Amino acid sequence: MALLETHDLSKAFGALTAVNAVSLRVEAGTLHSIIGPNGAGKTTLFNLLTGTFPPSAGRIVFDGSDITGTPAHRIAHLGLARSFQRTNVFPAFSLLDNVWLAAFACSKSWRGLLWRRADRYPEATAQARAALADVGLGEKADQPAREISHGEQRQLELAIALAAAPRVLLLDEPAAGLSPEETRRMVALVRALKGRYTIVLIEHKMDIIMNVSDRISVMHFGSLIAEGTPEEIQRNAEVRRAYLGGVAA
Amino acid sequence: MRALVLILAAVVLLPFIVRPAIASEIWIFAIFGLGLNLLLGYTGLLSFGQSTFFGSAAYVAGYLLKHYAIGVFAALGIGVAVGAISALLVGYLCVQRSGLYFIMLTFALNQLFYFIAYQWTTVTGGEDGMPGVPRPAMLGIDFRDPVAYYIFVSVLFLLSLWLMKRIVDSPLGKILQGIRENEVRAEAVGYHVPRFKLLAFVIGGAFSGLAGVLYAMLFGIVPLEAIGFVTSGNVVFATLIGGSGSLYGPIIGSFVFIWLSESMSVVWARWPLLLGVAFIVVVLFFRGGVVEAWDRIWRFSKRTT
Repeated sequence: MALLETHDLSKAFGALTAVNAVSLRVEAGTLHSIIGPNGAGKTTLFNLLTGTFPPSAGRIVFDGSDITGTPAHRIAHLGLARSFQRTNVFPAFSLLDNVWLAAFACSKSWRGLLWRRADRYPEATAQARAALADVGLGEKADQPAREISHGEQRQLELAIALAAAPRVLLLDEPAAGLSPEETRRMVALVRALKGRYTIVLIEHKMDIIMNVSDRISVMHFGSLIAEGTPEEIQRNAEVRRAYLGGVAA
Repeated sequence: MRALVLILAAVVLLPFIVRPAIASEIWIFAIFGLGLNLLLGYTGLLSFGQSTFFGSAAYVAGYLLKHYAIGVFAALGIGVAVGAISALLVGYLCVQRSGLYFIMLTFALNQLFYFIAYQWTTVTGGEDGMPGVPRPAMLGIDFRDPVAYYIFVSVLFLLSLWLMKRIVDSPLGKILQGIRENEVRAEAVGYHVPRFKLLAFVIGGAFSGLAGVLYAMLFGIVPLEAIGFVTSGNVVFATLIGGSGSLYGPIIGSFVFIWLSESMSVVWARWPLLLGVAFIVVVLFFRGGVVEAWDRIWRFSKRTT
């Protein structure tokens, strides 16, 4: 069963159609990757899925209900959590507070919002600690986010998304700017999350994609040009053409 | 804990050092600053229109005290409500904007309220202000006695401080700081940012309203300046000098500001120059205000001994 679907989803910025009639089906429990050259419209597609801006046309269906046009702050409550391509954390906060904020947002009740001490929410705190431990940052919970390395910030980025206990994880280039060693750790991490969550992954690094994906969709100039298993995609002539540039391969 | 002891000591000692009226003014202005700092320090919103709420509350409660002889508690309640409601109106219009536009909008709406007060002379007295605001007795305590009134103000100040501490330690406090740190991420993890900003406005407005009523009763008059942009500027000024990064910053700022203006204005007509210098020093060297300066000196002295 498809957990997340788009139907002819489009987004135009003036004359530029960044996303053009994309129809995508993400099956529950799978890791579905979206690849494509720079500027193919992958991040714009994520922004549409998470309500950063509404689509120009088309529909988004999550778990059988139409969520097209749902604003960003509601999306997390529905069970869709994203990580960002460029690290987007709360720099002055400790790692725990970074993650806690996401865990609290999606907790069942906001009782005591104005008067109970923030550290008296054992459930949210436990969830936040678990998310930090999941990405291997449990030891650094009390450090400020601005003091950890870039690689660790990418892990934190992921932990913030996990803390909301989402049903679908949207990961936008989790390995962006990482060293080979850090990349290997991130791949192991994503692989460990596979199966526990339905994951939609945007990535540039082919070796990662081919390694972890169940299905791959290829975007080029805003449109989907191919979809299939990693093996199918590797054999696909059109995909090679898109990646090698206009030359007929 | 140490901060609390210091504040309690200050509350007790202050009326022996300065006139009770000035001591009262310091704590009133501190309440006003606490409300602003929820916006400025915690949410990262520079509101240049806080006197809108301060002044509106002072006028409404002052008018009712004067013409309808309401009790002290009713006046406080009405002041808090007027502060909160006017902040709701202003905040609703402002929170959709950001950066410079936000600041200018708070300022412009402040001017709007100012000119209403300026023109509506039958109620506000216009430029002459609204004199004759009484301090009715309560439970047999005569608040016309400056010391009795000082004690009353101090208790309300401590209550306000306690309340504000609860708020900034609550999830709301953390969410507001999250918005200050990264608005986009706060939205993405599931917080409706404009609504939380509006909530901060309303709470800040309620504190301003409380301060406004106490101010009107302290001086027995609501001057037109109470709703003017200079008052809005002063509270920002005082909070920055004290340190907007800390809960106690506005309290220290209020102390410095009121004490300087009261003691120096008698001696030297150009005293605001001193404030200007203090402000420049803060901006250039101590972004965290007196709180940071104190922190650095304390750490420095610990290192050298």
